[in-house]
Order: sequence, then structure tokens, then C-alpha cells
Amino acid sequence: MMDRREFLKRSSIASAGLVLGAPSALAQGGSKNGKINVALVGMGKQGRVLFEAMSNIPGLHFQAVCDIWDYNRKGGFGKVRALQGHEPNLYIDIEEMLEKEKDLDVAIIATPDFWHSPHTVQCLDAGLNVYCEKMMSNTIDGARDMVHAMERSGKLCQIGHQRRSNPRYTYTLDHLINHNKICGQIVNVNGQWNRAVSSSQDIQVNPKLSIDPERLKKYGFDNMHQFMNWRFYRDLSGGPISDLGAHQLDVFNWFLGCQPKSVYASGGNDFFTEREHFDNVMAIFEYDAPQGPVRAFYQVLTTTSSGGGFYESFMGTEGTVKISEMSSASAIYRENSAPSWEDLVKDGYLNKKPAPAPPPSSDGVASYESAAPEIFALPGELTKMPHQPHLENFFATVRGEETLNCDARHAFESEAPIFWVNPSALQKQRIVFEPSQLSV
Amino acid sequence: MATEDTTSKDSLGHIFASLLLRLWLGVRALQTGIEKYAGSVSSSEPVKVAGEAYDDDLVETVSSKAYSMDNYSGIPASLKSTFAGEPLLPAWGLKIFDVVLGPALILLGLTILLGIASRVSLFALGLIYVGLTFGLILIKQDAGVAWLGIHVIMIAMALAWSEHNRFSILKKW
Repeated sequence: MMDRREFLKRSSIASAGLVLGAPSALAQGGSKNGKINVALVGMGKQGRVLFEAMSNIPGLHFQAVCDIWDYNRKGGFGKVRALQGHEPNLYIDIEEMLEKEKDLDVAIIATPDFWHSPHTVQCLDAGLNVYCEKMMSNTIDGARDMVHAMERSGKLCQIGHQRRSNPRYTYTLDHLINHNKICGQIVNVNGQWNRAVSSSQDIQVNPKLSIDPERLKKYGFDNMHQFMNWRFYRDLSGGPISDLGAHQLDVFNWFLGCQPKSVYASGGNDFFTEREHFDNVMAIFEYDAPQGPVRAFYQVLTTTSSGGGFYESFMGTEGTVKISEMSSASAIYRENSAPSWEDLVKDGYLNKKPAPAPPPSSDGVASYESAAPEIFALPGELTKMPHQPHLENFFATVRGEETLNCDARHAFESEAPIFWVNPSALQKQRIVFEPSQLSV
Repeated sequence: MATEDTTSKDSLGHIFASLLLRLWLGVRALQTGIEKYAGSVSSSEPVKVAGEAYDDDLVETVSSKAYSMDNYSGIPASLKSTFAGEPLLPAWGLKIFDVVLGPALILLGLTILLGIASRVSLFALGLIYVGLTFGLILIKQDAGVAWLGIHVIMIAMALAWSEHNRFSILKKW
């Protein structure tokens, strides 16, 4: 019989799906050596983040490292050797790797966005299960190809929206928003990723470490600057709205349980005038959510860090849940007219924070203000690296023990509206979605 | 006789006053010394809602107060670095004070409470407070100086009323 804890975990996994189908959940089994043989495809910054998170997961055997840059490849080689005590096989080309490595079980793909789809499709068609970083692709058709390849191959394809496996997020959705409905009717969603200009500068590289121009060209890069800064180029990435915004817009859609019906966006090269992608983007989405209409605002800035960093805020008639991967940026506010939450605090659903200081005086302006809401906090912290639970879910599914929290189909349903933000900003027009624009 | 009654009542009042001062100063010194061995012990456990754990990865840290020899710090760490820059306070003097302060407060607290050489104990405690006052003057903690001044006045009162001191184990000194 399923206990309450198991039920809640499963309900969270079920709610990871938006509107279509069930997550692919196939018992895939392990390898002959009892371990899951892993290929690391792309060992740049994000590849290293994933490797660090995987280094805490037992039962993995890092068999191959593939990267076109010698610097990354050697770095990956050293990290695997230091962790496992053996030397992984090294490859520049993924096709060569798939041809020679016959007993791989899994590929972890952390290449530039425009390579996500080709690499994922190649690996799935070769019989590997794939964990691929978000955004699925720089084009919506590339993302569609990934869904088709997953379903054609019958293999697993998890997309790296790691918040879907973060217990702080699943707890918030399961217990606070769905079960206890602490927000009342959610009418607004507000999210942002404000990144400092100092963190948004061009990445420079020592010329001695440069990749041979012929190799760069073969893999789609005009030069080393483009290789290091692929996020700035339209043919190689979706820009900040997909690079940073994808994580948070995924949470919008996941929590609301539906796709938006329209988007209106504004963007510009306000500071980084030479870049192809907008440096600042603001987007308004409209939803017909199951619980009622919702308007959502999202901004991504690459010029300013103030304003609270990055978070997603679900604002309702009775309360607001502001959640972030950073627990310090998370808070829950109760509207003064809402029913008391004392029982929720008593049962451990919430922690109450000290009451905010009263306004200094009752002047003419203060008389128009609403009373300050009570502030509460989520109980508990995630004690692992942010990506680790999502990777653990992937490997547990490979072993047949769980189902994926964010397979390619569900990730596509959530990501599809994001592909239309830049077009809306470029055309300066509201886009009302047709079903064909958001479906596989 | 009315005169004899008044004398008797005054005497009892003085005895109680002396005893209360001794108790207050003894408890103040003893517990302050013990608190220098206080620290916190943290333990993590899965968040429980309605009595059941939600997820092993969602963990709440619970801190509780604990005493141990390892926690000992005579002078708070935040003040040590401040004192270190004071030319009138030699490093060796600071170190001795740091090591001795906690045990000395505990010892004097006990002797004052039990009435063992009360006058010498009170005087020694007063000297410690004078030493602390010197340090606080150096770092311009005027509120702390005033606070210690009140303690010293109370010690002076206890000494002045020492002739009314009763319930002592060792009356000498």
C-alpha cells in the first residue's frame, strides 16, 4: 500500500507533466559490470558542474569524455581519474565515441545549445539514455527532434530543469500551493534573473589554448571568441531568455499546470550593443490556468544584479510564494485577509518569521498602503548540490526504480513558449499561440 | 522595648540584605563563568509535516545549546581581535585573562555562594571586574563600563555589610 510520503512524491512527479502524456518510465537496467557506464559529452563550465554533482552518486562509471577543446577534455580526464582512479577514453568527435564505445549506458550532454539536439538524437539512436542540459535546443524544431528521437528509440531523455527534482520546489507545489492552497487564487506570477554586468562580460581565452580553426569550423564556430561566447549568437543559442529564463519559465508552467496562451515581449541591446541577442528582455505571458486566469511577468537582465537576483513569485489572493534555488531569496507572505496559517505552522508546513517592523509613522502616503503581510519561510534546506537530485532521478530511472521528473516531451511543452519570446520582441507584437506553435 | 525591637528588625534586614547581595553576586559570577563553556550542537533531520518526513534531501537543521570544555572561550572571539590592536594591553596579559577568566568566575561564584572567605572572594571578584573595566575603556565600550561599575558598587555594598554576613562555611577572611 502506498503511504502518504510515497503518494506525495508520486503526485509531484505526476504534476511534472503538464498537459500531455505520461513521462517515459522504462526499466532500462544497468551494465554487465553492475555500474552505469557514462559518457561525458561537453566538459565546459556546465559539464563540470554536472560532473561534480554526479561525483556524489554511487554506481556510476565514467567511461568516456568527449569535447572538441583539448583544455576541457584534459580537464575532464583529470577529474575522472582523480575520482575513480582510472583513465577515461577521450574523444573529440561524438560519432567516433559512439562507434567505438559499445557498452555505454548513458550520455550526459552539456555542449552549447545548438549542439544539444544533434548530440541527443545521435545518442538516443545509438541506444543510450540521455541527460541533456536545458534549453533543449536553440530552435523549436531541434527540440521537436529530441522528443521524436526519445519516443522512437524508447530510451530515456531527461532535460536539465533541475528545479523539478528539487524537494524545496516539489514541497512548495505539493504541500503549499496544491494541498493547502495557501496562495488562494493565483492571479499573478512574477519572476526574474538579474545578473550583474560584471558577470556578463565576454569570456577571454589564452591564445595558446586556442582550438585549430579547421576544427572550430567543422563544429560550427567561426572563431575562438564565438566558441567561448556562443551564448551571444543567434545561430548558436536562444540568448538570455532561454539561457537564464528557461529554468524559471519552466517553473511558471510547471506550477500553473499549463502552457500560456500568449506572450508579449520587449528586448533590446541596451548596453551590449554589439551582441546579436538582447541583453535585457521583459515578457508578459497570459494563462488560462485550471484555477483561473493568470498574468505572468518575467525579466532577464544582464546588466544589473540588484533587485533580488533570481526567483519566481506566485502571487495569490491569500498569499504569495516567492521561491528561488537560493533559500535566502525565498519567502512566503500571508495576506492580512487570509485565514490564519497558525495550524500550518503548528503542523510543520511553514516556519514563521519575525513580524516586519511597523512603518515609522502614519503619514499621508502610509494611509494608502495595505498593512504589511506576515512573513513565513519554507521549512528545511536542500543539502545537496542543486543538480544532484535531478541527476539522481535520472539514474534511478535508468535502473528502473523511478520515473523521469522532466522527460523531453514534458520539457518541450514547458519550453515551447520560450521560443516565441525573442520573435515577439523583434516584431514588437503580441503572439497569441496557435496549438501548432506549442506542440510537438 | 521599642528601641530593642527596632534594633532587632534592622539587624534582620541587614542580614537579609547581605545574603541577597551575596546570592546575586555569587550566581552572577558562577553562571557567567559556566556560560563561557557554552556552545551549540547542530543536528539535521528531514523536514516533517503532519508528523511524516517529506524527502530525505529536504533537511532542517536544529541547533541546541550544549556545554563542553572544547567550547571554552574566556574572552569572546569578536573582542579578541579588537583587543589585539591595543598597545596598552600586552598579548600575554590578554592570554592569561582569556585562560583564567572562566575558571576564576566559577570558583569565586562558588565561594561567595557558599560563604567561604566571603570578603576575600568579593574583593577578588571586584578586581576581576576592574580588569574587565580597563579592557572596555580601551575599546570605548562605555555602556559596558557603566554596567561593570554597578557590579563593583554592589560588591562594595556587600563588603560594607559583611559584618551581617551569616550562613557561611568559612567566616575568616
